[in-house]
Amino acid sequence: MKFQIEDVTVYFPYDNIYPEQYAYMVELKRALDAKGHCLLEMPTGTGKTIALLSLITSYALSKPSNPIKFIYCTRTVHEMEKTLSELKLLHNYQLQHLGPAAKILALGLSSRKNLCINPTVVSAENRDSVDAACRKLTASWVRELAAENPRIPTCSFFENYEKSASEAILPPGVYTLQDLRAYGKLKGWCPYFLARHMVQLANVVVYSYQYLLDPKVAGIISKEMQRESVVVFDEAHNIDNVCIEALSVSVRMQTLEGATRNINRMSQEIDRFKATDAGRLRAEYNRLVEGLALRGDLPASDAWLANPALPNDILKEAVPGNIRRAEHFLSVLRRLVQYIRGRLQTENVEKEGPVAFVASVNTQAGIDQKMLRFCYDRLHSLMLTLEISDTDEFLHIQTICDFATLVGTYTRGFSIIIEPFDERMPHIPDPVLQLCCHDASLAIKPVFERFQSVVITSGTLSPIDLYPRLLNFNPVVSRSFTMSLTRDCICPMVLTRGSDQLPVSTKYDLRSDPGVEKNYGKLLLEMVSVVPDGIVCFFVSYSYMDGIVNSWHETGLLKEIMQHKLVFIETQDVVETTLALDNYRKACDCGRGAVFFSVARGKVAEGIDFDRHYGRLVIMFGVPFQYTLSRILLARLEYLRDTFQIKEGDFLTFDALRQAAQCVGRVIRSKADYGMMIFADKRYSRHDKRSKLPGWILSHLRDAHLNLSTDMAAHIAREFLRKMAQPYDKTGVMGKKTLLSEADLEKMGNSNLGEMF
Amino acid sequence: MANDPSSPVKLNVEFRTIKGHKFTKDGTKQALLNLTQDQGGNYIFEFENFPDRNVCKDFVASAIALSGEAGRTVPEKSAVPIQDEQLSAAEMERRIKLLQEDSDLQKLHKQFVIGGILSEAEFWATRKKLLEQNYSRRPKQRVALKNDMWSTKPLADGQSNRVTFNLTPEIILQIFAEKPAVRQAYLNFVPNKMTEKEFWTKYSRAEYLHSTKNVIAAAAEAAEDEELAVFLKQDDMLVNEARKKIRQVDPTLDMEADEGDDYMHLPIQDHGLPRNDNKDVLDSQYEPYRRSFSQHLNQHAAVVLQGRVIDVELGDTRSVAEALARTKHAELAKDASDVYLDKERLERISRMTEIEDLQAPRDPAVAPLSIKDPRDYFDSQQANAFSTLGDTVSGAKQLKCSVSTREAYCSLKECISEIKFQGLTEPTINSEVAFKVLNGLAQNISSNKYHLGRNPNESILDSLPKITREELLLHWSSIQELLKHFWSSYPITTKYLLTKATKLKDAMSQIYPKLQEIKESVQSDLRHQVSLLVQPMLQALDAAFAHYDADVQNRSARSGERPNGF
Repeated sequence: MKFQIEDVTVYFPYDNIYPEQYAYMVELKRALDAKGHCLLEMPTGTGKTIALLSLITSYALSKPSNPIKFIYCTRTVHEMEKTLSELKLLHNYQLQHLGPAAKILALGLSSRKNLCINPTVVSAENRDSVDAACRKLTASWVRELAAENPRIPTCSFFENYEKSASEAILPPGVYTLQDLRAYGKLKGWCPYFLARHMVQLANVVVYSYQYLLDPKVAGIISKEMQRESVVVFDEAHNIDNVCIEALSVSVRMQTLEGATRNINRMSQEIDRFKATDAGRLRAEYNRLVEGLALRGDLPASDAWLANPALPNDILKEAVPGNIRRAEHFLSVLRRLVQYIRGRLQTENVEKEGPVAFVASVNTQAGIDQKMLRFCYDRLHSLMLTLEISDTDEFLHIQTICDFATLVGTYTRGFSIIIEPFDERMPHIPDPVLQLCCHDASLAIKPVFERFQSVVITSGTLSPIDLYPRLLNFNPVVSRSFTMSLTRDCICPMVLTRGSDQLPVSTKYDLRSDPGVEKNYGKLLLEMVSVVPDGIVCFFVSYSYMDGIVNSWHETGLLKEIMQHKLVFIETQDVVETTLALDNYRKACDCGRGAVFFSVARGKVAEGIDFDRHYGRLVIMFGVPFQYTLSRILLARLEYLRDTFQIKEGDFLTFDALRQAAQCVGRVIRSKADYGMMIFADKRYSRHDKRSKLPGWILSHLRDAHLNLSTDMAAHIAREFLRKMAQPYDKTGVMGKKTLLSEADLEKMGNSNLGEMF
Repeated sequence: MANDPSSPVKLNVEFRTIKGHKFTKDGTKQALLNLTQDQGGNYIFEFENFPDRNVCKDFVASAIALSGEAGRTVPEKSAVPIQDEQLSAAEMERRIKLLQEDSDLQKLHKQFVIGGILSEAEFWATRKKLLEQNYSRRPKQRVALKNDMWSTKPLADGQSNRVTFNLTPEIILQIFAEKPAVRQAYLNFVPNKMTEKEFWTKYSRAEYLHSTKNVIAAAAEAAEDEELAVFLKQDDMLVNEARKKIRQVDPTLDMEADEGDDYMHLPIQDHGLPRNDNKDVLDSQYEPYRRSFSQHLNQHAAVVLQGRVIDVELGDTRSVAEALARTKHAELAKDASDVYLDKERLERISRMTEIEDLQAPRDPAVAPLSIKDPRDYFDSQQANAFSTLGDTVSGAKQLKCSVSTREAYCSLKECISEIKFQGLTEPTINSEVAFKVLNGLAQNISSNKYHLGRNPNESILDSLPKITREELLLHWSSIQELLKHFWSSYPITTKYLLTKATKLKDAMSQIYPKLQEIKESVQSDLRHQVSLLVQPMLQALDAAFAHYDADVQNRSARSGERPNGF
């Protein structure tokens, strides 16, 4: 269907639209018109992504004179694929109705690991080794050598891509990662470099958060994006955590040992160069004297992760004199490593701010703040000069320089925590030095400054006024939408006790109580015999999940559960978890039915949907609080209290409940879908906890469902499922329209729609 | 025709002349195969065992169907000049296959098509759906694996230090399917290096070590015994398999790809989730011996989901292992770069992305219901219907559920002898029970074998004598077939349809008296039940006849008005 929102004709690939999608688009359009940022909470299961995509592409189409670029950030690669396939659907529709005028170029971007098609390179194990393997074949010095000596291997895909030069472009269309690889194979071009190049020209770019938020990655990939861009962070309820992690570093003993090895290797290289090609080192020195930390335009294949500090904070000065010479720089690094090693020897937990730390480095190791700040760039320059291509071997020294640069750049919002051992296992020495960022607004600040519109959206952004404070920005539009349901297709329940009336909870004192474990098991057993198809269970941590599943196995409860459904479980091995999920879906598809055990805050809870028959019920066992004894968390809480006046308890509850809401929100995808949610912990019945849940869940949580026992919950589940099996009118009942057609929209007119919701 | 096994004369009969075959059920006294000849002769073969017989039986069935088809095409052409489809070989094959799989269908086919009442095309026209379904390579229905993990909980008796494990062929199959390394080890070791018993003893030892969760002890034992080490170490084959499989996974699920975008190298990921499982007291040398329960759980569920992939008798361990290894190998080789799979996956994703209720529905994605023997299903329904039919019966039925005639009789006898022996100590209770038993028994005797049969499938049909039952079912299905064709030929617009209707009516009127005959031939106590069964058939036939007569009258009246006809 197509319709007008003020001056924009919106192309929407379906025959009908939900009223909240329409309202969402209206708000979004206002934000775009105002060229400001916005914050929108819309319940899951209302087609948020497609509404977003279709409004922004239509907006761009309606303003051909001043084209805006659309940058869509997802948290994970699989969400990227999902978004791109929705975009494909939309694009096909627009092509049908607008013809070639609607042609756009949209592509996903990921690392070499996911895009490389050279079989020798991509077989490497992790991202770093793939990057290094690629560099070994494509670095400028390798290619120079190969031109003289044909026996040096190069990458044919990269060579072909380089040869085609300006001809190497992608025709318009929507490209998923797989499409990119297929296209690269077809043409014999390297898909990674092709995609990197095309990102500058594309109308829509879909990539992961880190490509904008992590300064190291953003510095090489996103630095040339134009200001007239709309940036969307989807599923952004965890965005503050991503921001914090982007600026945090941790150093362990292994890191220091590795760094020492790296330094030794570099000093050998320097000696070798001195003997054979002293001119090169001198050239580098001269360049540094002129004040250029880096040569201006590196070939793309040499580019390397950029400075970890934010672009505005990087000094535009010359590298200080005392680290210009390669040997001097190495000895500075040696002293720094030595100093950190000394700090790690401590027997007590230490916590200090960056200022105190820098002062202490200065007095004890003789390295001043400015030298620290330049460490990363200086290392980068040195490694290029030394023509080191196996960068994955040099991760350790990179980490040290990351740390040095960050600690030298920022004076507030950070703290340095040294722990000699893990709190839970005091007898095993495992010292770690962590530089942790507490201020989420630091990393996202350049994004807000650079781009005209930033949209932050998710199904759970409650309380919505907290995010602008955490991220320190002023949205022009900030709204939370409710869900207009045709029927009560979600059924949240709070289960507080088992059939034996004993309370259930994952509180520390109750957690390992066999009675609680048994009651949780009985709850699941009741549910697997009642609920068809898929059931998802979330636990508060991996160790808790392992423990409880083992105890169910020993008591025979698991066996009884398996009589009804297959059981799959998330592990910390992603390959295995992915396969388990795949099998879980197959089991639901073929009607066998299955249960998936997963962990709140884990990878599955982050981005896998359990919509339709893949999830008819979610059980959240316990309240997923963060590990409250963690020093990093304590330091962050302290920072939040001092700067934003947010109470510790409030923040912890907010954080736990947003995770819980996120977990249970995965069950529903559209209004035709239905699902139940059980919050199995007595603490959910308390008002201060419960009220932090997003409105669309709260509005369906009836008072009668606030304090249930297992048998009552099973009864409610039976009733609910029976009710859902009845036919119903999709367009809504009693004058309340929940599905709008094109005609409906026209009838209502644009003027009064905004007030309808 | 008797055939002496010692006779040197070889029997040679052309399949063309064979028109049917009968055989005894598996597990009966003799393994017999009876071939009926066109001209009314029989060949009876006796086999030494049933599997041999079954192989022959299958062969004969296909041969008969084939020759039957071939022989039939000639008369068919003359009978139906209007539409004779040229059948492709594949189509033919499909029909033959269907006939082989479904004996009821075969009977009908024989009766009507060969009997000349229906043409081949007409017969299959009503079964188009069946043909299509079959075309989409409907897998053979198999019994699924039990979703039951072989609990490694050993049976230990309190006194001695002995621990016992129970292994059945079913469990062995499960172990082989879930643990490819064990399967491989079996193929490598048995019987060259050790006997089967030694092998499983060793395996059980390893399982026991795992169940104690003592990784260090496991590592120590493995160091001494390299064969034991195979079981204790992590399964490399599984790891490799996972690597291959991960490439086929739906990209919207692929969490492994996320690692490619991870630039942070931070231990504090997962947003505050405590990561306590990575750090353990153990050195890395013990790493290969650690095995997590969750891994086992996932592997188990995956195997159960995949179902029974092999078609081998379970008793022979070696052949099971080999068959499994073969299928696994084929599977992995096949899917290296399957374009078809890729396409299917893309289609799936695009279907998944659509929001269902914003769009008019596509074809409902339903799986065809696959019931191997429809009679099993419908009989149980019928039994339900009958249980509500007669109230007098249902009371007795309750009693009958657990007691067979003989048992009831014995218990009655016991009761009586007890009463005789002890006198009536508690006369009220005992006599009541006795009366009830007597009553039940009396009713039971009068209705003969009425309630015999297994409980779930208890139905009126089972109580009938076998011949009557077979006959009834045959008539029922043939009437159904005839009626279907009969009603579908109305309204009569062409001459062809007219002759068809007449032919069908004649066929039906032949069956009519047969039904009456059955009704009268059965014993008096069953007659009511049988007439209940036969009544709807007769009614349906009556309705058809009435319609036919009315139509003929109409037609003649009209043709009287307009002698020129159409």
